[in-house]
Amino acid sequence: MTEPADGSGQGKVDRLPGLESRLFDIPEDKFIEVVRLLERVRDHPDVRQTFAAIRPRLVQVRPGRRPTMKRVLCMPFEDVLESFSGVDVPLGRIERRVIEPVWRLVTECGDTALIDQLDRQVQETAPGNINALRNIGRRLWPMAALAIRSAVEQDGSRQMVWRLLHGDEELRRQVLDVAAFLDIGLTVEALKDALAPKPLPKLDDRHVEAIEQAAQAAARQSPTLVYYLLLVAASRMANPADLLTVLNDIDLGKARREQPVIFAQLSGLVVTNLEERSARLDGNGFGNGGGAAVAIAPEEAIAIAERLVASVNTTSAVMDFLAEPVYRERLDAVKAAVRTMVTGSVLDTAPQGILTAVAAPAANGRPVAVDDDAQSAAEDHARALRRCEGLADALGLHQPLKDAMASMEKGLLERAQALLAQYPRAAGDPDDAETAEINLFYALRLLEMVAGPARADRLRTAIMAATGEFGEG
Amino acid sequence: MLKGAIEYAPSTFEERGAAVAFTTPLLSQTRVRRGERSKLEVLIPSLSQGMGIYVVAWKSVPDMVSMTMHDRYLHDLIVKEDACSPHEIRRATLKAARRGLAGPKAAQAARRALEDDEEQSTLTHYLLILSILKAVGLESPDMLKAGIDTDEGQRLTRQLMTRAAESLRMDATLLYSRLADVAAVAAPVGLARSPKPGRLTRGLMDLKGFRDSLTDWAREVPGDAAPVAAFCAEVAQHTIAIGDKVLGDFHRRIEAIGPLMRDWDSEIVRVRAQAARMAWLLDGWSHITGAWEVAQTEDHHQQAATVNDLFRILPLLPRKESSRDFVEDSKQVRLAQRRSVRMLEDWRTGQMDMDAIRRIEAVKARSP
Repeated sequence: MTEPADGSGQGKVDRLPGLESRLFDIPEDKFIEVVRLLERVRDHPDVRQTFAAIRPRLVQVRPGRRPTMKRVLCMPFEDVLESFSGVDVPLGRIERRVIEPVWRLVTECGDTALIDQLDRQVQETAPGNINALRNIGRRLWPMAALAIRSAVEQDGSRQMVWRLLHGDEELRRQVLDVAAFLDIGLTVEALKDALAPKPLPKLDDRHVEAIEQAAQAAARQSPTLVYYLLLVAASRMANPADLLTVLNDIDLGKARREQPVIFAQLSGLVVTNLEERSARLDGNGFGNGGGAAVAIAPEEAIAIAERLVASVNTTSAVMDFLAEPVYRERLDAVKAAVRTMVTGSVLDTAPQGILTAVAAPAANGRPVAVDDDAQSAAEDHARALRRCEGLADALGLHQPLKDAMASMEKGLLERAQALLAQYPRAAGDPDDAETAEINLFYALRLLEMVAGPARADRLRTAIMAATGEFGEG
Repeated sequence: MLKGAIEYAPSTFEERGAAVAFTTPLLSQTRVRRGERSKLEVLIPSLSQGMGIYVVAWKSVPDMVSMTMHDRYLHDLIVKEDACSPHEIRRATLKAARRGLAGPKAAQAARRALEDDEEQSTLTHYLLILSILKAVGLESPDMLKAGIDTDEGQRLTRQLMTRAAESLRMDATLLYSRLADVAAVAAPVGLARSPKPGRLTRGLMDLKGFRDSLTDWAREVPGDAAPVAAFCAEVAQHTIAIGDKVLGDFHRRIEAIGPLMRDWDSEIVRVRAQAARMAWLLDGWSHITGAWEVAQTEDHHQQAATVNDLFRILPLLPRKESSRDFVEDSKQVRLAQRRSVRMLEDWRTGQMDMDAIRRIEAVKARSP
């Protein structure tokens, strides 16, 4: 893995980065194997760096990671931890940079004997044995919450906390939020089971019932903890704003009196969260301030837009109840950002994404080789374009979408006609004829996706007439 | 054009019709059969979630339903080739997919499937030659060593086969021709000793996996779709039970290659009938097992919708094939599952449901 060149560690510097990039390409089973090996030396700085670099694939593959105390500590708030990439941001998120100082506070101010004892248990626990980890958490979380809170709030340790948190007030707030999540660790863990799999596409009665029971359990500990529990619930949902639609029907038990405050807190957070998510669209290069950042694939862009628009619509409906005009403006701004993103990543890129898959005929008369990858990408783009129809109303995209569709239909027809005109030159050679026909059928498929089967059928008839495949005799 | 909804209780496989892997959601896995005066007709189940089956003249389908370009091509091809058996329909389906009309992945899968068929055919032929040589006591290590695809191997094979024909008291040309016939019949099923199971044997294995998976799912995921899943697993189980029996009998007859060659006229008819029965039994299941595999990566909500989709196209056993009346039993399940089905709106609105088409094409790319 790492190989010191001269004992000074110089040789290590560029070896692991090479490994990092290779870890994105190797097959999944090999990747899991390498992760297991790296885990054994995970405290090495290079290995930590490697883990940080390969985190997107770790998130995607989710290999059963070796349990550690730090990982058990994070369980109650793992759903609200910020994600590494993408547009989705959990409600009331906790930044990952909080984990290290929180862990330091717990180990330095907590019950070290208990930590040592639990650490031994963790090391004996098999990856994936969630119940065993929860049993360890049952003892770790209350102790950790107490340790964090007393360290942050007591005069004696103020200096140390200030140093650990680099005087960052935002970090301090998040550390206290972590303590609240730890307070309700077991309740949160039970709720996670009820709200699975994540993300939950929609809330049904049994989900609402589970949230109600968990909220009442949290309220029995302290009414202020209900808010944190609801953050976890929201973060497990595909559309967190859905929680707002059921919140007023939920009996919060001992936190019943705080219900309006909690509702207002969550509503504000949902709007802020939508703003934050739409601001991330800019960061991906498709907003007003976009540059040469990494492009979002058209289908992904539409999926993001659909989720955001659904959230905005739900939130708007709930906000009407609150009669807060300021929210309306903020939600409109979110929609405008989504509109810009859809325009930039689906409509404006359509000529490049769809038309270029239909290659122009080669000068030598031979058909251009079939490019399956280009065709697949173009089909994805065409599907994204069609899915825009569902968002056109909400985003005011009717005319631009209509124009883009018309332009794609025209462009595809022109390119297909050019291929058709060239076809007789390929027809003599069976291989060339097959290639030319697949190119024509691929163009036909794109036209069908963009313009619908009725309009594509004329091209189909023309292709069949040219190939003579179903002709008489 | 449209004969109206009828009670659907076919007696035979032929009456049930062969499933066609259309990509238009409403037409997906609808069945084609020979109707009055041998004209092709299509059976479309439960438009708008109603009961019964619509029988439509094959040539009228494009006027009734807005079909994908793939389906129009396949429709024309089936008319041209007058295809009606599972084997013929499969060939037509692979040809349409190979053209790229169901997308690049389905085209690649179709090409692979056609190559597999070729390979299986050669392998079966080779194994049958070995089998006949063994039956007459002429096993030759030299021939095996040389391999059948070398000049030397082929020379040795011809020599041995001529002796085998003498031993069986038949002309060598006739022996070759009969072996070719048996190979053509046996290749889709596969031989018992084959290192690679035949397509239909693989289909039966997949069906067993599907049965187990749906049985577990029905137990673990409570809800409206659980009894539907349990019913699908029961139908699969009955099909498997018959399939295992037919397959065992088929393999026994092929293994007894000497008697097969001697009592040719009667035996080949039986063997052909068994191979055809296997094809009919498993007809329509590859799409179902493939769709369920695709659904494994989805959440329970989507899986429940898939279970209901699959129920709609479940290949129920005809009355003559099973003592249990599955058609009658399915009506009870149908009543229970009405609440949670994906609506097939495309027939009403004429709009293509891109997501549904994509799901079907994804299955085609997996199980062509």
